[in-house]
Amino acid sequence: MSIDDLFSKEEEVLEDAEAIVTDATFANEPTRKSVLSLVAEYRKLLRTTRRMMRLSDRNERELNSLAEKHRLASDEVSRKNQELEALSAKLAKYLSPQVYKSIFSGKQEVKLTSRRKKLSVFFSDIAGFTEMTERMEAEDLTQLLNSYLSEMAQVALEHGATIDKFIGDAIMIFFGDPETRGVPEDALACVKMAIAMQDRLSELQSEWTRQGIREPLRCRIGINTGYCTVGNFGSEDRMDYTIIGGAANIASRLENQADAGEIYISYETWVHVQNGINCEKVGEIQVKGVAHPIVTYRVLGLTEQTGLSTKMLCKKQHFQLYLDPSSMTPKERDESRKMLEAAMAVITATRPRNSHDT
Amino acid sequence: MMNIEIPATNRTPSVIFDFAVGHLRITGESYPEDVTTFYNPLFEALKAWLEATEKPGCQFDFELIYFNSSSAKAIMIMMEMLDTAAAKGMNVVVNWFHDPDDETMEELGEEFGEDLNHAKFHLEKRPN
Repeated sequence: MSIDDLFSKEEEVLEDAEAIVTDATFANEPTRKSVLSLVAEYRKLLRTTRRMMRLSDRNERELNSLAEKHRLASDEVSRKNQELEALSAKLAKYLSPQVYKSIFSGKQEVKLTSRRKKLSVFFSDIAGFTEMTERMEAEDLTQLLNSYLSEMAQVALEHGATIDKFIGDAIMIFFGDPETRGVPEDALACVKMAIAMQDRLSELQSEWTRQGIREPLRCRIGINTGYCTVGNFGSEDRMDYTIIGGAANIASRLENQADAGEIYISYETWVHVQNGINCEKVGEIQVKGVAHPIVTYRVLGLTEQTGLSTKMLCKKQHFQLYLDPSSMTPKERDESRKMLEAAMAVITATRPRNSHDT
Repeated sequence: MMNIEIPATNRTPSVIFDFAVGHLRITGESYPEDVTTFYNPLFEALKAWLEATEKPGCQFDFELIYFNSSSAKAIMIMMEMLDTAAAKGMNVVVNWFHDPDDETMEELGEEFGEDLNHAKFHLEKRPN
């Protein structure tokens, strides 16, 4: 059945008229011509209407077909997007959130470029880790290391750090790129993060002890503030977003010099944090690869908490003390008290060395 | 006379012709592959019912979201049948419902309504 059937009534009217006008008698020639012309134009108009309707329906079918193709393509794009989102969520775990965010928001170009920026650089590692690897089973060590790194990464992210990389048990972090709150604020955030990491480590110790890890896990930390070259390094096919420069080297060397549980910061960091952080001057340290000595400070705690802090740390030539009563068992507490009382008795009873003695 | 009930497809509207009470209704979208295959049985049923001697009044509801050009012609044919019946004395009411935000459907309703000389025509907004 064709579309023409929709015009059967019009067709019928026209055929009747055509039959009549052929044989009809008209008053005069102009009238006959006018009526013939009217019927002919009606035939033409009907043909045009049919043609336009067919054209309109065909266009509509094509539009529908295009819309359907567009819908299918849109579904496919949506499915691909979901796949990419899932994939990028997996890839994101290999990048620091700030770096990931700056790349995916288009702020950061993924090409081999770098720039100079003043950053606060942090290095840490676990004291005696190499010995631990020899004593512990690989599975237990893996679990412990992952637990430690996860906790430290969590603290780092809470403080807005850019985690550069994990190198075995070592962590490299910096503040000041891709986002910066200003050099002093970045330095303060970096030191606060280091204190929070040491505190978190103390809390985790009892948990790990319950899991059968006898030796306490203690980390050394070094922080320095200075100009670094930050950007993408490597090849066009495989690159790392990282930092290079003497400032990073100094942070690493300070970490090497620190004892277990200590945070060493350079003078350049200290000047920015001295009002918020209670520090003790260690002195000038000569580090490998740096010509001049590094004026170094030991972090004791946050200034606003120093009065409340239960931890004590002292490193003098003839007197060294590390006291953390909140982490002690009752037995350890009794023993420590007795030892301090004995120390007080000894120091009272001993004649001080005369400054003239040699 | 047998009532007609055709469920909607993605290209054709739902049709409910309840001849016993005189309520006829077309709802949805109309762009059939072959418009005459779909509408001719409706034309024939409507024509037969309108020509029957015993019949109540007629209320015909059009509630269309979209239709193509040939469906528009099919609608015009049905409206013409209804108007002819109204001219012969039948009480015919044609309701044209359209979405309040659909100006095209409102304008088309106004134009179709202008062709009705005897049937009562109502244009009404009704959210889909």
